[in-house]
Amino acid sequence: MFAVETKNLTKRYGKTYALKNLDFTIDENEIMVLLGPNGSGKTTLLLILATVLKPTSGQAEVMGLDVAAHSTQVRKILGIAFQEARGFWRHKPADILRFHASVCGVPKTKRDTLIEEILRDLELWDARNKLFMHLSGGQAKRLEVAKLFIHRPKFAILDEPSSQVDLRGKRKIWTQILKLREEGSTILIATNEVREAEYLADRVTVLDKGKPIVCDTVRKLKDSITGGDIVELEIDTPDTQTLKQALSQIDGTVKITNPGANRFNAYVSMSESWVPRMTDMCYRNKARILSIRVTEPSLDDVFLHFTGRALRGASDE
Amino acid sequence: MSNIIRLVWFDLKTELRPPVWIITEWIVFLVQVGIYSAMISQLVTGVDDYNHFLTVGFVIMITFDMASHTGRHFVEHAHEGRLPYLLSLPISRSELFLTIALQGGTELALMLSVPLTVTLLIIGNLTWISVVACVLALFWLGFGVAGLMLALSFIAFKSSDLYSAIVTGLSAVIIRFSTVLYPFTFLPAQYASAAVFSPLTYGSDLVRFILGFDPTYLLNPYYAVSVLTALSVSTLGLGLVLVQRLVEGVKSA
Repeated sequence: MFAVETKNLTKRYGKTYALKNLDFTIDENEIMVLLGPNGSGKTTLLLILATVLKPTSGQAEVMGLDVAAHSTQVRKILGIAFQEARGFWRHKPADILRFHASVCGVPKTKRDTLIEEILRDLELWDARNKLFMHLSGGQAKRLEVAKLFIHRPKFAILDEPSSQVDLRGKRKIWTQILKLREEGSTILIATNEVREAEYLADRVTVLDKGKPIVCDTVRKLKDSITGGDIVELEIDTPDTQTLKQALSQIDGTVKITNPGANRFNAYVSMSESWVPRMTDMCYRNKARILSIRVTEPSLDDVFLHFTGRALRGASDE
Repeated sequence: MSNIIRLVWFDLKTELRPPVWIITEWIVFLVQVGIYSAMISQLVTGVDDYNHFLTVGFVIMITFDMASHTGRHFVEHAHEGRLPYLLSLPISRSELFLTIALQGGTELALMLSVPLTVTLLIIGNLTWISVVACVLALFWLGFGVAGLMLALSFIAFKSSDLYSAIVTGLSAVIIRFSTVLYPFTFLPAQYASAAVFSPLTYGSDLVRFILGFDPTYLLNPYYAVSVLTALSVSTLGLGLVLVQRLVEGVKSA
């Protein structure tokens, strides 16, 4: 059984489709990252799974429970950190977390210890008695995800969990997410931050215009781009043209360019198997390798490859 | 049940620490009754107990303010992103709506406690029966007004500024074209025909009937109960449907 499964899931706002016939699954104890530009339907999918929105048609199940028919039971096994932390302007972070913990059934004996631990870890301890309206954007966002780390639900949903947060804060949030998974939670994250997806994802689903474009592990998605790896080489050789010819004949080579004397840029598929073949060839041709630098494609490149548009450009549309 | 109490208390405690808003409203009421009503009633000769009449009117105005505040609050929650959070909590929808109604009701009860007691003391009718009957009538009116504000929520979806402007304007009209400040029988025909559309007309006349005011000034109480019931049921039902659509992100206009 999948932890989450949608079949033909459609959500329409008036005449606009936010999701269209979406088939999507998440395995138990998996971190699935939804990657896509703004307006691709990521948040809508999260809100449907969190039972906040109702689907227009189709089916969505969380741990075998239909989100429309058994919404209250579904809410008992999930927790969501929203994209924007809003709504409790006149409350204090410690009070908000205490309230959230009590409503979500965190045992009273553990509540205060857990809240202090999470507030300290996310560097919110000093701000615990400030009013919510006086928190900075980054603090408010950390408070939003803190709710989830205190609740520790079986199925955790996070919408852009580290947006507006500084680099140090991002690392702390990501570490907490990984810890949550280690404890057995299934996690769904929507983001348009490539680094976040690469750091956290077991699998990535690329969404565009309400449809899944592709779904796989980060490694496989990158490997699926023909010629996506760039190997920059500096090789001491008396005959540049012969070496260029030899490089282009190595299995997995898509293109070779020669930007300067003894310098070659190889556009290859799966550089990890291409590089050993290249070193063998150099050895046989008595060419001395001076330096190698391998650059993998980013998930931005993956998005560009599958949609024909850059992720950042698409976000701005 | 414990989650319902937690939810109600979570918001209520911020209102009560310190209860500035409630105490200010009480002070305003006492000033209105002690100064304005005492003075103006000396100028009015057509009604014997105009001071009492007006004091009840001020209680109705507080009920109206509180009920519209509850309705508006709910719409603001939908707008500000708080409602989606509440909708994601592990409680049923009916419990959530019960929480919102209970919170509004508790705030209304707190707000009315002093004004209603003072009014009943002034009128000389402070009995358990009159307290219970008045509270029921005022809550019934409160449900209707809160529902009306919810039903107007589709405007907030287009523009919260426009919504605030319309609600403020509408509030002024609903109070002036009603029997909150003057008896129905004294209204000129064109004003009276507008006053029959104001829910406050029925609420204020019903409370005055319960408190033993001269029935010749007032509308038929059975008629008032019927209108308030119809108003509460229809506007609350419509309001909840519209808010649901607002949460769903569909323009409900």
